[in-house]
Amino acid sequence: MGCGALSVIINWNMAANISLYIHIPFCIRKCSYCSFVSYSGRQDAMEQYSQALTREIIQRVDNRMLKSVYFGGGTPSLLPADHISRLLECIGTHLPQNREIEISLEANPGTINHKHLYAMLSSGVNRLSIGLQSLDDGELGVLGRLHSSAEGLNAVAYARGVGFKNINLDLIYGIPGQTLPSWQYTLEGVLSLEPEHLSLYGLSLESGTAMMEKIEAGELPTIDPDVSAEQYELAEKILAAKGYRHYEISNWAKPGFECRHNMVYWKNEEYIGVGAGACSHIGGHRFLNTSSLEKYIDAFTGNGAAVESDETISPEMAAAEAAILALRLEEGVEISSYNNDYKTDILSVNSKEIKELESYGLIENNGVNIKLTPRGRLLGNEVFWRFLPASSAQNDTNQVAMERE
Amino acid sequence: MNQNLIRNFCIIAHIDHGKSTLADRLIDIAGTMKRSKVTEQVMDSMELERERGITIKAKAVRLDYKNRAGEHFRLNLIDTPGHVDFSYEVSRTLVACEGAVLVIDATQGIQAQTLANIYIAMEHNLVVIPVINKIDLPGSEPERVMEEIKSVLGYNLSETFFISAKTGQGVGELVEAIVDRIPPPGGDLNLPTRALIFDSHYDDYKGVIAYVRVVDGRLEKGSKVRLMGEGTQMEVLELGYFAPDPTPAESLQAGEVGYIATGLKSVAECRVGDTVTVVSGGATEPLIGYDLPKPMVYAGIYPTQADDYADLREAIEKLNLNDASLTFEPEASPILGQGFRCGFLGLLHLDIVVERLEREFGLSLVVTIPGVKFMVTKTSGEISDVTSPVDFPDPSEIAKIEEPWVRISVVTPSNFIGALMEVMQEFEGVYKHTEYLGQFTALGETGQRVQLEYEMPLRSMLTTFYDYLKSRSRGYASLDHELLGYREAKLVKLDVLVNDVKVDAFSRIIPPEKAHDIGKAVVSKLKDSIPRQLFKVPLQAAIGGRIVAREDISARRKDVLSKCYGGDITRKRKLLEKQKEGKKKMKMIGKVEVPKEAFLSIMKLG
Repeated sequence: MGCGALSVIINWNMAANISLYIHIPFCIRKCSYCSFVSYSGRQDAMEQYSQALTREIIQRVDNRMLKSVYFGGGTPSLLPADHISRLLECIGTHLPQNREIEISLEANPGTINHKHLYAMLSSGVNRLSIGLQSLDDGELGVLGRLHSSAEGLNAVAYARGVGFKNINLDLIYGIPGQTLPSWQYTLEGVLSLEPEHLSLYGLSLESGTAMMEKIEAGELPTIDPDVSAEQYELAEKILAAKGYRHYEISNWAKPGFECRHNMVYWKNEEYIGVGAGACSHIGGHRFLNTSSLEKYIDAFTGNGAAVESDETISPEMAAAEAAILALRLEEGVEISSYNNDYKTDILSVNSKEIKELESYGLIENNGVNIKLTPRGRLLGNEVFWRFLPASSAQNDTNQVAMERE
Repeated sequence: MNQNLIRNFCIIAHIDHGKSTLADRLIDIAGTMKRSKVTEQVMDSMELERERGITIKAKAVRLDYKNRAGEHFRLNLIDTPGHVDFSYEVSRTLVACEGAVLVIDATQGIQAQTLANIYIAMEHNLVVIPVINKIDLPGSEPERVMEEIKSVLGYNLSETFFISAKTGQGVGELVEAIVDRIPPPGGDLNLPTRALIFDSHYDDYKGVIAYVRVVDGRLEKGSKVRLMGEGTQMEVLELGYFAPDPTPAESLQAGEVGYIATGLKSVAECRVGDTVTVVSGGATEPLIGYDLPKPMVYAGIYPTQADDYADLREAIEKLNLNDASLTFEPEASPILGQGFRCGFLGLLHLDIVVERLEREFGLSLVVTIPGVKFMVTKTSGEISDVTSPVDFPDPSEIAKIEEPWVRISVVTPSNFIGALMEVMQEFEGVYKHTEYLGQFTALGETGQRVQLEYEMPLRSMLTTFYDYLKSRSRGYASLDHELLGYREAKLVKLDVLVNDVKVDAFSRIIPPEKAHDIGKAVVSKLKDSIPRQLFKVPLQAAIGGRIVAREDISARRKDVLSKCYGGDITRKRKLLEKQKEGKKKMKMIGKVEVPKEAFLSIMKLG
């Protein structure tokens, strides 16, 4: 703690910004590709869970200015509207807020109607992220989604109808059996809805998911990476023509509609995550909450602790993570500000890797920025792992004791 | 011990015909050990042996047995390796015995290796007691197998025992027969000492332990002895017998079997087949001709990680202390780095060595394609031995190539003859002879069992020959082989280029007419086992400058990029760390990352 006017100003500046992530781990049914923390058929626990969230928010906030709130899941749109408004009220009373605050909520088309959407808009949600995924019912079936393409289109129309001015649509490509024409059909159908923002995710197969099991059993075709690459390139072409900026590997936005909350992650800034399985990045540490619903609720009714691991990010690792995250963005690593922020010299620390990646045509370095080439955007992992520190496994993670007296 | 009350014998059997189980039962009956102290299958002491169901190193156990007439006998059971790679050791073991129990599986009948071993037993005038084992199994056909024994080997029903080593049925009678029929050891206590080494192994504390059969005279603790073949001199630091743990004694005399601790540092100084005599007043003639088993198969062994070279050297040296038939010399490969060119008795021996190096020494290895020793005469008249394709001279310098040939004997039900003859032809076999062994019933059909004799280049046998032999005969055919000698051959070197870099580890010596097929198979196998890289990788097979096959691995276009969901960057980073770790396990060929599996897949290729 410093004293004197200068340090006060610095502290005030540091305190200027924080973002809040709220995890809602409830689903009607788990999608076939999902490996996130979510539970189906546990809506009975929603009330207790919301109360626990409120307590965690109060416990963890400081006096920093809140820049964004993001309800992610799971299926946040499954939470009753009054829970959302209660949580936002609580946030409003305990955190100073920027007038420009972005409040996003993820919605599943199978769980929303006019009334529900209107209630959420009224309680302060000003950005809706709808998990449309595809406009092909066969593909939606493969993904295990509980809505049809028609319900997806209706959901967007309802959201517009009640007055949402900032809508993101999530789409998935690289679905087993999905062709280039069917992807084009989805893209064009979605563009006619004029969303402000689009997130296009290449399907990633995670072990333990229903889809992985089906592919291993030969019930679904494997994902052809070459088809995925063509689908991605097609999307880049079509979206550019429609005036969307490809500002991050998987994200496109109309100018001014870039997701402020996600930018916090990509810029390696600080955020608080509340809820089961939520992750926080504060003061050089990354905390992870328990993913168990029971343990989480218990932690805020007097028993145990919600935080399950506390990782200290070394300066070296912080620099590596910042580079990896920045490379996801269109402008890439801005060399001088990066060097300044992380007290390093990326061009000499990573000179070998940069040269190698340039030779493969995966990155370009003009001395001001280091960024992915169009090809590099498809092979990001090959770029990213090369920026990990040599002895990357040495980061210190403490398992926080579960039964604290 | 009165020499007349000693019986030295061994058990000969094909793999899995029940040798180790029978040994256990005999130990039970003799009561040398309390059953509770004994793990199943006492005679197979190496972990690997038990897993593979074969015996790599011979051991000897002393059993005290009181027969039905009340006399106390001392039985020495000497274990033999069952695989043809170790036929030299088998032959030395048999020389140490007066009798052999021949075990034949009642569900399978006589196999190729059984025949090979029985011929050696007959050559050394051993009394053979035929035993039909596994008569408790539902699929057993003791009568049919008896027919085979009678017609092929010439033993009668009255001489043959029907047993189940598993249940113990018939084993009691068998032990009585061992005592009654096998003669006591000959040899003369008063002649100068002569003892045959039939096995040896290295012990960290006592140096080389030699397993010996004393034929004449006696060996005593503290004696100064000499090995007549190798010329090594040493002191007997300790001697004794196995029951089955080493039990020290004061002396071993004519007819007895036991061990001597020599203090020697390597089994190479004290090899199987050598004759031990005393330094002063020793014998002048060895017991049998002493020659060294020669490596038949050669392969390069390299560490996956270049840093492990020193560990590999130490591991091979240590293994060699115990396995004198393993030869090795340093070799450098532009791709694989520092490693060793090793010589083995056969493919099984190679497999065992590699597995022991990986298992016992925790090494990760790359093994090159096994090959033979070629004799190449250059146009200059110079003759050289070539055990690595890398050393193969330029075709313009070669006047003559000679390669080793083997005689192959295959025992099979007659309905597979056609299929097997095709296999033989594919693998360059030359037909010699067919012999009908007798009737058999399998899969509900009655047919003949047949022994086929072929000659073929050993080189051909080292590929997928055995796999084909087994698959085309539905597992029924059994194989034995013996070296014939060198014959002239027409061969070329096939090189493999990965991204225009010649990979010496993938080179092989082949007949020119097979270049196209093998080249195609190699590049397509490599295409399957090398993951796509960040750039296009051409794969080529070439004879000299001529490309005989080509495939391209197209550049990788896309990897799976997961989003960092809810800011969980740690999870994403751990995936990247895993990816980074995975790269370390790759061998670099130029800029191409090649997984170890690619080397294995090429090695296993025909």
